[in-house]
Amino acid sequence: MLDHIKKIKNQIEQFSIDDENDLETFRLEFLSRKGQVQSMFSRMGEVPKEDRAEVGKAMNEVKNLAQEKFDTAKEQLTKKEQRKHTAVDDITLPAPPLSPGSYHPLTQTLDEMKRIFYRLGFTIAHGPEIEDDFHNFTALNFPPNHPARDEQDTFFIRKHDDPDKEDLLLRTHTSPIQIRLMLEKDPPIRAICPGKVYRNEAVSPKSYFLFHQVEALYVDTDVSVGELKETLINFAKLMFGTDVKYRLRPGFFPFTEPSLEMDIWWETGGEGKWLEILGAGMVDPNVFRSVNVDPEKYTGFAWGMGVDRIAMLRHGIEDIRILYENDIRFLKQFS
Amino acid sequence: MKVSYKWLKEFVDLELSPEETAEKLTMIGLEVDGLDTYGSSLEGVIVGEVLDVEEHPNADKLHLCQVDLGKEKVQIVCGADNVAKGQKVPVATVGTQLPFKSNGEPLVIRKAKLRGEQSEGMICAEDELGISDDHSGIMVLDQNIETGTPFRNIVEPYEDHLFDIEITPNRPDATCHLGVARDLAAVLNLELNKPFDTEFEESKPLDDHIGIEIKNPDKCHRYVGKMVTGVEVGESPDWLTNKLKAIGVRPVNNIVDATNYVLYEMGQPLHAFDYNKIGGKKIVVKDYEKPIEFETLDHVTRKCSPGTLFICDANGPVAIAGVIGGLESEVGDETTDVLIESAYFDPGSIRKTAKEQNIQTDASYRFERGIDPNMQRVAAERAAALIADIGNGTIVDGCTDVHPVETEPKELNLRLSYVNRLLGTDLSLKDVEKILKGLELKVVSRKKDTLTLRIPTFRPDLEREVDLIEEVGRLYDYNKIPSPTHVKFSPPEPISDHEKLMVRLRELARSFRMREISSNSLMSKKDAEQFGDLEEMIHTLNPISKDMTTLRPSLQYGFLKAVSYNFNRKTEGVRFFEIGNVFWRSEEGSYYEGIAEEVHLLIGIAGKKSVEHWKTEPGDYDLFDLKSIVTTMLEQLGIEPFVEEHADGENRLSYRVDDREIGHLSVVGPQKLDYFEIDSPAFYSEFSIDRIEEVLASKSLPEYESVSKYPSFEFDLAVVVDDDVGAGELRREIRNQAGDMLQNLQVFDVFEGASLGKNRKSIAFRLSFLDKNKTLTINDVEPIINKVLKALEKRFSAELRS
Repeated sequence: MLDHIKKIKNQIEQFSIDDENDLETFRLEFLSRKGQVQSMFSRMGEVPKEDRAEVGKAMNEVKNLAQEKFDTAKEQLTKKEQRKHTAVDDITLPAPPLSPGSYHPLTQTLDEMKRIFYRLGFTIAHGPEIEDDFHNFTALNFPPNHPARDEQDTFFIRKHDDPDKEDLLLRTHTSPIQIRLMLEKDPPIRAICPGKVYRNEAVSPKSYFLFHQVEALYVDTDVSVGELKETLINFAKLMFGTDVKYRLRPGFFPFTEPSLEMDIWWETGGEGKWLEILGAGMVDPNVFRSVNVDPEKYTGFAWGMGVDRIAMLRHGIEDIRILYENDIRFLKQFS
Repeated sequence: MKVSYKWLKEFVDLELSPEETAEKLTMIGLEVDGLDTYGSSLEGVIVGEVLDVEEHPNADKLHLCQVDLGKEKVQIVCGADNVAKGQKVPVATVGTQLPFKSNGEPLVIRKAKLRGEQSEGMICAEDELGISDDHSGIMVLDQNIETGTPFRNIVEPYEDHLFDIEITPNRPDATCHLGVARDLAAVLNLELNKPFDTEFEESKPLDDHIGIEIKNPDKCHRYVGKMVTGVEVGESPDWLTNKLKAIGVRPVNNIVDATNYVLYEMGQPLHAFDYNKIGGKKIVVKDYEKPIEFETLDHVTRKCSPGTLFICDANGPVAIAGVIGGLESEVGDETTDVLIESAYFDPGSIRKTAKEQNIQTDASYRFERGIDPNMQRVAAERAAALIADIGNGTIVDGCTDVHPVETEPKELNLRLSYVNRLLGTDLSLKDVEKILKGLELKVVSRKKDTLTLRIPTFRPDLEREVDLIEEVGRLYDYNKIPSPTHVKFSPPEPISDHEKLMVRLRELARSFRMREISSNSLMSKKDAEQFGDLEEMIHTLNPISKDMTTLRPSLQYGFLKAVSYNFNRKTEGVRFFEIGNVFWRSEEGSYYEGIAEEVHLLIGIAGKKSVEHWKTEPGDYDLFDLKSIVTTMLEQLGIEPFVEEHADGENRLSYRVDDREIGHLSVVGPQKLDYFEIDSPAFYSEFSIDRIEEVLASKSLPEYESVSKYPSFEFDLAVVVDDDVGAGELRREIRNQAGDMLQNLQVFDVFEGASLGKNRKSIAFRLSFLDKNKTLTINDVEPIINKVLKALEKRFSAELRS
């Protein structure tokens, strides 16, 4: 029997498998149900009991050898087959398109601002877009007859004839968040307030009835114009580059006194001009009084700017409306 | 407001150029928006002699002129009919800039070929030289003038520079040349010269000529009347018309021009009445309890509400006080005697009237902001002197000054410590005094740290100490304030959970390859109707456009608009997300009663998932493409174990936590697709970020667990159920029964067919079990499977499919 086994072993070893046909012949000859390996096992009954262990071991070795040879040959044949060059093996063919996710340019500009403000020690605060007259105007020292309170400029949601009831409106700036912050907690306060704001205006390339604003507020003992100036300059340098040319000039806002504005020197196509980028000032004592902060004890600065405007400036966008059209051809430029 | 450089120079000895002056004005808060020129120096215009005139060979109306300019002879093409041989004419030589403007730009003469003929210069008409409006022909000069003489030797040139200043509402004093000059003088440390008298003795009233009475002293604090008789109404002299034209004011006649002049000079609006047209020789300032119809000098009949203040004579209204005059009492060519009105009207009253009449005049603009209540007499005297001078009239001796409400100058204290604390400066009291000196603030007293200042009545904006500090700051120049060497350190506050969550969701959405969009929060009522009952939505009361009437109750609107917009531009598939506020009516309200306002996240897909490509077959997105994103998002947030899905029909799946909806996933219905002209399937999911935040805050979220060292054990299970049983329900039940050992539960096959029986279906689940402490065997899992099967059988009549 051991000789027979050896014979089969030799046959297996010498069998050469060059193609699929050989492989199938090999399988039929050795591994199929009627193949030599199987018939070898069926002859186990002829083996005397005391030899069975030895013979069984030899049989298994042959079986494994046959299976191994088959597997190896099959794998190689498959590889060989794959190596056959076809038209789609051209790796210069373009891959299917994959559209990436992206943030809106307004988000990207706002993120840039947030990163800067975080470094300057500010946190972030949010508030509702529908506000009442108190938060949007009165607390911010807008006189009762201020033109911004006209229907021509502000979207009203609810109006009352009863002077004790507050009108509701779409906030015209994010300053109401500052009011909320100061009502909520005692100084020191150091936060930025981003968000959508609304103006009841005709739509044009330069103005849209909604846009985004970021305001900053810092209230503590002994905050001065000097600190405001330092913060503004740091912001401008981090936002527009350390070589940015800037100037501060007086301005006017109801909620700050003194008020000032910051211009940066902006060059396009070899021509430069001063561009206003933000309004700022020291929190007006009347604003402090309306939120129960003692103006003799605390001082503070506030400033605000348009995210849309800065985004347009950074990317050379001429028409604000394109920011709200969501044209993919536009959006994908800001991946 | 246009301010003349030339005019300012009458008040201050300016050595700055127009450009430097503009810069200076901007830096003290009088922002110059534009710098313009008026007139020209006429440099380059010289007297020429027309030697010969021929017809232009190629143009009927043009002439070829040979002109002697003294030093040279040139050919000039001229279109004027009156050009003739032998004339002496003004010639603008090549390079000359003329005052005449075309399209707002000064005309510059260049060498040119006109219809094929060389032309080197221009023979000018009077308007082109800024001498008059005459454009009837070229200007012909005296024969005796020598050829080559510079034209400016014959006609004195008028050249001015204009600043377009944006006056902030807190600076009524700066709405005239005097006020602007005062600021310049203050910052440049120069003397302010006032070219008129400011002090007058009390004078006898004009009672013999005119009676003046104020019936509403709350609305009219003061009314000064002054008269000039025997005037000749006519054109104003050149110096006056040029000054007015330079700042964009059209000259009318010498009387009106004189009153306008005083207005722009010192900021006091005046009105000139034809004295002989004043009925009953009396002026009464009063309002009416009834509405009044009144024709103003712009030929408009205006309806005026009760309470509108009028200037009246014995017959009734002759002017709307402080806003606009009437047609009847206007000064005309036949006028000989003039009554000048110089009054102070209450800003609130004028603002109301001007707003009601929708009109802004130079007068109302100033009264609204608040003029100097002590300037009326000065202005009346100034105007009378001017009218008498240029109109050859006689000033009537005396002046009526009805002054029921007098305004005394305020006094304010200014603490040096506060100045330095607020500005971050290190100024001395002396420095502060020096800075404020030019503003005509009088120092009443000086105590160690404190100045007491008398505030002139032309500065109603200076009401508080802090207002004075602003004056110090703006004149000192904010750019000069030193940067603090050591800034106080405020402990930074933590970033709120809300902000963190919004950033997280945005990052997740982008990681799912979504593009962020930013859309309108406002829409038209017509569009809004697509999203539900208008009664349930929030509307604006006064939109200027009907496209902005309704606040979005859902982010779906912006998504569909963006899909439609892009599909119309050949985009085939989109993946969008947006984070924004939405609004709807709710009794309780979020911040305000009756109005719910929440921050939402929308994720939406539409159109083609894959386009035609050698590697892929084209195919549309389906609901499960979106569902896998939503499920993953909930998993990533860690709230997925608390969320239950609930099918609201076939096209809407709601996600609930403790029976409260936190979001949903929907198929956009055919009606909406049709309305927005979208011809591909669209799906969106909208979640309330506020709700998610609440869930995150209220549930204890899974913490880090070490990864199991043992393999998982998988078991496949197919059950047959009625076809109205949802896979979600089965899954939930399996989860509940299987307990914590169940790590993953997937559906790998769904099948229906006759072999299962009518209205039956088979769902095949793959359950993955895992134990952290051992390798699981069938013996561990079998009891769980039996428990699951029993429960499914009981609740859903499920049978195990063999």
